[in-house]
Amino acid sequence: MAERKAMIKIKPKKYKVGDTVKVDFVVIHPMDTGMATDKETKKVIPAHYINEVTFSFDGEPFTKMTIWESVSKNPYFSVNYKVTKKGKITVDFTDNLGEKGSKSKKLKPKG
Amino acid sequence: MKKILLTVAFVSSLAISGEQFSMSDADKKMYEEMKENNPADIFVADGEEKFEELFGGEEALAKFLEVSEKELYRYIAGFPRYIKKMGNVVGLDQVLQAMQVEAGKKMAPLGSEVIDFTSAYVKSLANDENITIDVEADDAIKASYALGEKIYSTRRGYRGLSCKSCHAMAGALLRTQRLPDMGEVNTGGTWPAYRMTMSKLVTLQERSQKCMIDAGQKPLPLGSKEMVGLEVYITNMAKEKKQVIEIPGLKR
Amino acid sequence: MERRSFIKSLVAVSTVAVATPIMAKEEAKEAPKKSDTKGPNDMPFDVALKAIAGDKEVKESDKVKLSVPEIAENGAVVPVKVEVDSPMTEKEYVKAIHILNTKNSNARCADVMLTPANAKGYFATRVKLAQTQEVVAVVELSDGTFMKKGKSIKVTIGGCG
Repeated sequence: MAERKAMIKIKPKKYKVGDTVKVDFVVIHPMDTGMATDKETKKVIPAHYINEVTFSFDGEPFTKMTIWESVSKNPYFSVNYKVTKKGKITVDFTDNLGEKGSKSKKLKPKG
Repeated sequence: MKKILLTVAFVSSLAISGEQFSMSDADKKMYEEMKENNPADIFVADGEEKFEELFGGEEALAKFLEVSEKELYRYIAGFPRYIKKMGNVVGLDQVLQAMQVEAGKKMAPLGSEVIDFTSAYVKSLANDENITIDVEADDAIKASYALGEKIYSTRRGYRGLSCKSCHAMAGALLRTQRLPDMGEVNTGGTWPAYRMTMSKLVTLQERSQKCMIDAGQKPLPLGSKEMVGLEVYITNMAKEKKQVIEIPGLKR
Repeated sequence: MERRSFIKSLVAVSTVAVATPIMAKEEAKEAPKKSDTKGPNDMPFDVALKAIAGDKEVKESDKVKLSVPEIAENGAVVPVKVEVDSPMTEKEYVKAIHILNTKNSNARCADVMLTPANAKGYFATRVKLAQTQEVVAVVELSDGTFMKKGKSIKVTIGGCG
């Protein structure tokens, strides 16, 4: 199974301990609702969507999401996070078919 | 006669600056913010990997194009160009195909992920550079430009429409979508782009094909002389408005 | 065929290629519609709201700032942003932000559980809207109270290409 491509962006690019940053996450995923029909095969495309997303810092979850099929394809999720120290932000996600994925980004506060 | 009547009827049904579907400033700002998290960024990053692994990166590209690595980004900003060793005016995607052939590899088709993602990445190397296409540079590009200009104004298909029929009416609405002046909105510099209605990375030529189909025309093949000519013509519109390269774009 | 001449013929070859309408896989899918196909997650707005807040009162409040476009360029990708003014301390923070819609067959879009580590009561995403409808942000605070804010979005289906 191919790894799902994803991207984490931290904004602003420069931040210090104590600052609140924006954590943006985008992942390539079909987010099929299970209600659309393939025009060519005439078959219903089965539901295949991300249903859980967890944002963690150095292994400690700080945001948990339940996601539904109404979210756009190649979904985007954004939350804030208060920087406490240097470490790693990880976003873990699962979909309704049991596929799991993960993406990490280092937090490097200056000062 | 019927064809002309159909055309007139169609064109007059275009709403001119319909207020009902104008985007408010708040809406525009929201869509601008969306560009900061463009799913196509992931495809472009994938293109970077492919560029390094499958094509040999900037060094190989500069060598193929016979320019120095220092001039490479500026050179990219001038595509489509006449490439002597290819004997034709070509886009970046066709250059990548030629590199594959030169390396003795199997050529990936235009429109494939390998070509689309990689050419998007290569074009993005020239981000913020002014579009420098020179439609007077040589006879080949002059001919390509002339062909593109001709196609732009030639009526084709059962609706009797040319590109100009709709796109000359800058600001008009066609099926709730704005018809922009392609120079003003930098069509030449913002494709390949993420099309929200398709949720995928699409090139200018692929986008043009969709438009042709909707206009009742047979779509021109990707990479054909005609399609490249059209891209040259459209890219030059952006150059004349002093636009810069901004890849990947985000479009409806 | 000699490599050099093959490279030169690349453009010539494609001119001869037969033009076929592009039918990208994504194009083959129809937009999800409120129709006969029943999804396993189908849930109307009222039921979804009850599932979130139970019998508690959920008042419209300007403390919930909901940013959505008035007119969605397309229904497949509609940006939604929610901001709630809150100190986000252990004593007082935004516990959850729920995004709901009013006309999709599943009214639920996202249920986001925040913690004080988030430092701001903020969440943004993009949703699919099958037709013109409201998007509603339902906010749960750490003290167990609820508030909401809804906005109508005109979804334009059409466009060229």
